[in-house]
Amino acid sequence: MKAFTPHNDGYITAQVDRDEALLVQNLASQVSVLLREGNASDPAILRMLPDAYPDDHASSAEFRRYTASGLIDRKVSNADIVIMTLSDAIETGEVRLDPHQAGAWLRSLTDIRLSLATRLGIETDDDEPQQDSVLQELYDWLGYLQNSLVEAVDEGVTGE
Amino acid sequence: MADTIEQTHLRERNALDVPWVTLVLNDPVNLMSYVSYVFRSYFGYPAAEAERLMLQVHLTGRAVVATGTREEMERHVEAMHDYGLWATMGKADE
Repeated sequence: MKAFTPHNDGYITAQVDRDEALLVQNLASQVSVLLREGNASDPAILRMLPDAYPDDHASSAEFRRYTASGLIDRKVSNADIVIMTLSDAIETGEVRLDPHQAGAWLRSLTDIRLSLATRLGIETDDDEPQQDSVLQELYDWLGYLQNSLVEAVDEGVTGE
Repeated sequence: MADTIEQTHLRERNALDVPWVTLVLNDPVNLMSYVSYVFRSYFGYPAAEAERLMLQVHLTGRAVVATGTREEMERHVEAMHDYGLWATMGKADE
């Protein structure tokens, strides 16, 4: 998958091959399943739905009661947009995003990277990358993709 | 009746005296470029201010990104969680 490129018509595109598309679809789908069916105490879920009140368990629980189902619905919907646009990309070799879809991609890539980070034990800036780990390479690659998408969105907005 | 109104006013004033804040905390996952993007696109901060707040999060571990009522801050915290940022809230004097 190459870097994302903004276009004058407001769309952002990137070349993507079939294996990469299937891989990202698989990750987005796994995060959706985790959000819908996972244990609320799973570190990845706690990272996606963190405590709103760090020193107040009761208020955090109440906040979660009011916000979690909406947040999960929106995160699942973002993942669905990633999966759908990549299904099109498998046909054309190019993923093509309108501004709304680009926003969904940015959020979903964040959720995927947050989930992978908890599995990799990345909790602070000082945690060393795991050498020779396929998961670490995947995590780094998704970070590259996301950064390229942020830059494409910014360029599209400022017209640079 | 007059007492009730006065008490209500007192309560409102006390609530306003100590505002709530939305804090964004540093985490090792979110990209600096993405955090700036969120501050610009959600809060509408100019690029330079978004960059300053992002660096404050990155270098000091946290930054206050909004101040207001408890309800407003809960909305902001939910929005930050929507973006995948690590956000919490608290009283401004804590």
